[in-house]
Amino acid sequence: MSEKPIVIEVKDLCKTYYMEGGASQVVLKHINFKIYEGEFVAIMGHSGSGKSTLMNTLGCLDRPTSGEYFLAGESVAKRTDKELAIIRGQKIGFVFQNFNLMMKRSIVDNVSMPLIYQGVSENERRERALEMLKIVGLEGYGDRPPSQISGGMQQRVAIARALINHPKIIFADEPTGNLDSITSDEIMNLFTELNKKGITIVLVTHEDDVADYAKRMIKISDGRVEYDGLRKEYHA
Amino acid sequence: MIYQILREAWISISAYKLRTFLTMLGIVIGVASVVLMVAAGQTVSNEITKTFDSMGTNLIILAPAETVSGGVRGGRGRPSITFKDVEALKSLKDVETTSYVVNAAVQAVYGSNNYGVSVYGTNPDYLAVGNWEIESGMAFTEKDVKAGKPYIIIGQTIVDELFGLQNPIGKVLRLKGQPFTVIGTLKAKGDNLMGQDQDNIIMMPVTTLRQRLRGSNRPQYTDIAFVKVTQEDKMESVSKRIEYLLRARHYLKEGAPNDFSIHLMTEMVEKVQNVGFILSLLLSSIASISLVVGSIGIMNMMLVSVSERTREIGTRKALGAPNRWIMFQFLMESIIISFMGSFIGMILGVILSQIAGKMLDKQVPISLWSVVISASVAIFVGVVSGIMPARKAMKLDPIEALRYQ
Ligand SMILES: Nc1ncnc2c1ncn2[C@@H]1O[C@H](COP(=O)(O)OP(=O)(O)OP(=O)(O)O)[C@@H](O)[C@H]1O
Ligand SMILES: [Mg+2]
Repeated sequence: MSEKPIVIEVKDLCKTYYMEGGASQVVLKHINFKIYEGEFVAIMGHSGSGKSTLMNTLGCLDRPTSGEYFLAGESVAKRTDKELAIIRGQKIGFVFQNFNLMMKRSIVDNVSMPLIYQGVSENERRERALEMLKIVGLEGYGDRPPSQISGGMQQRVAIARALINHPKIIFADEPTGNLDSITSDEIMNLFTELNKKGITIVLVTHEDDVADYAKRMIKISDGRVEYDGLRKEYHA
Repeated sequence: MIYQILREAWISISAYKLRTFLTMLGIVIGVASVVLMVAAGQTVSNEITKTFDSMGTNLIILAPAETVSGGVRGGRGRPSITFKDVEALKSLKDVETTSYVVNAAVQAVYGSNNYGVSVYGTNPDYLAVGNWEIESGMAFTEKDVKAGKPYIIIGQTIVDELFGLQNPIGKVLRLKGQPFTVIGTLKAKGDNLMGQDQDNIIMMPVTTLRQRLRGSNRPQYTDIAFVKVTQEDKMESVSKRIEYLLRARHYLKEGAPNDFSIHLMTEMVEKVQNVGFILSLLLSSIASISLVVGSIGIMNMMLVSVSERTREIGTRKALGAPNRWIMFQFLMESIIISFMGSFIGMILGVILSQIAGKMLDKQVPISLWSVVISASVAIFVGVVSGIMPARKAMKLDPIEALRYQ
């Protein structure tokens, strides 16, 4: 396992929110772990334990208060907003709980949107978007708006969008939170398929069924890593 | 990259057609009214120039000095300029010709028709001085003036009102019961700036007017005198010479005020045109209030748009959109709206001003100003009303924005 390159490495990662009026809340406390290329990790924990905060930090949407964070070997803990935007655009794919698609735009426009900021030409954007739609099983839907398809299909569109910049890693915060159990299974099967092709996936969930698709599990409790190991060896 | 920003901005605003249209309407109305007002101002200014041109601009007008009592200007003073004075002015350097007018307002009668008319008692040179041309027949001569012949030249209004389709030449009409023979008609000039009919005029030898229409009170004096100067740049020097000569002829002592007043047509043109310029400035600044309102409309729409699209902005940022890209997209959206609004407003303003011109029978110029105004409004309003919402979008924290419902 350790022959594979490291995609994510966090050392002593801490996050404190400072609120107006001087109050502060320590949300992440000295987190340490490594994620290797090709892994499929589920982050679990109670509500308010700090899962989303961790994901946002790993996803370069936020900076840690202290500690080190290496993404694909590069230190990213102290980058400017502009640099973080470039890193997100080139190395990271996001899948959200509520899909976050632009309902007035075509599916192709949605899928190819990240490439606009990479300076990719319109023709190439479309080509790559159609290719991604094929991968997520939505061939032929490209020119419709997302409002015409089901929630599960919309999440597939979002996954295609996350894949389009060939990211180092995909972060999914509760990707099945808005879906029924059958559709959830379909989406999780898609993630499993993508993972088999070598794509690194980190997802946040508090559903055990969903977490079962992942090989590895990191459990956060009150801002600390409570468990980090194989999912099937975890006994609550 | 500019093209991509433009495209994204365009697609975004065309997703909200009605809202975009209504917002744009504010700018359309604003620009259209400014263009309309500028056109109105320019039309007035052109009409002024035309009126003065119809009188001739290298003209110096002499009148009795205004009465001044206790620093307050009164009306026209005692007659002071004699026909002999006017004759003497003719010999001054750079003077083309001189003339004078003694007025009378009377009722003109021909058969069963009658019409109120302004009668000018003058000399034949008045035609040249006042830029009048003979349409048919001929003018009276210096000899007729000496002899006090009852010959008259009539304007087109009198032709129409009294004679209709008949040829007026050789006909006799009556003024104050006395007969006058029409020997010529004048080419039409139309209304002047104040809407007065310049063609409601009868010209006759001044001697005839004195004898038959005005009585012989102070018969050697004229109401008003005209000096036509050979070239416009000689106006100042000629007016100096006139003043010198008239003071000498009137035996005015040094220090005594002039008993006459000198008005240069060129100065009057300038004054009136200044008024015209101020008028159009005033009109367009009133109209630009509607532009300010339109601009506030854009700002308002963009602010609503930014808060409605908070999650879209968050998503774009999470997927790698740099902050500046987001800012430029929103700025571009407001620029597009104000640009299209200005363009449509300009076209509308030009069309409306032309229609108004047709209806009022006035030549309305299509000026470069309307293009300049619209273009600057397009950019200025777009940037000014877009910058605040665009900065708001730029500053959104992606995490907050994604959590926004
Ligand atoms: N911007 C913020 N400012 C202040 N406190 C915050 C902020 N974001 C999160 N928190 C706090 O940090 C703690 C962790 O929040 P977080 O969203 O990471 O939890 P979570 O594990 O994702 O919970 P859930 O399962 O409900 O999504 C919570 O107590 C929350 O109130
Ligand atoms: Mg959460």
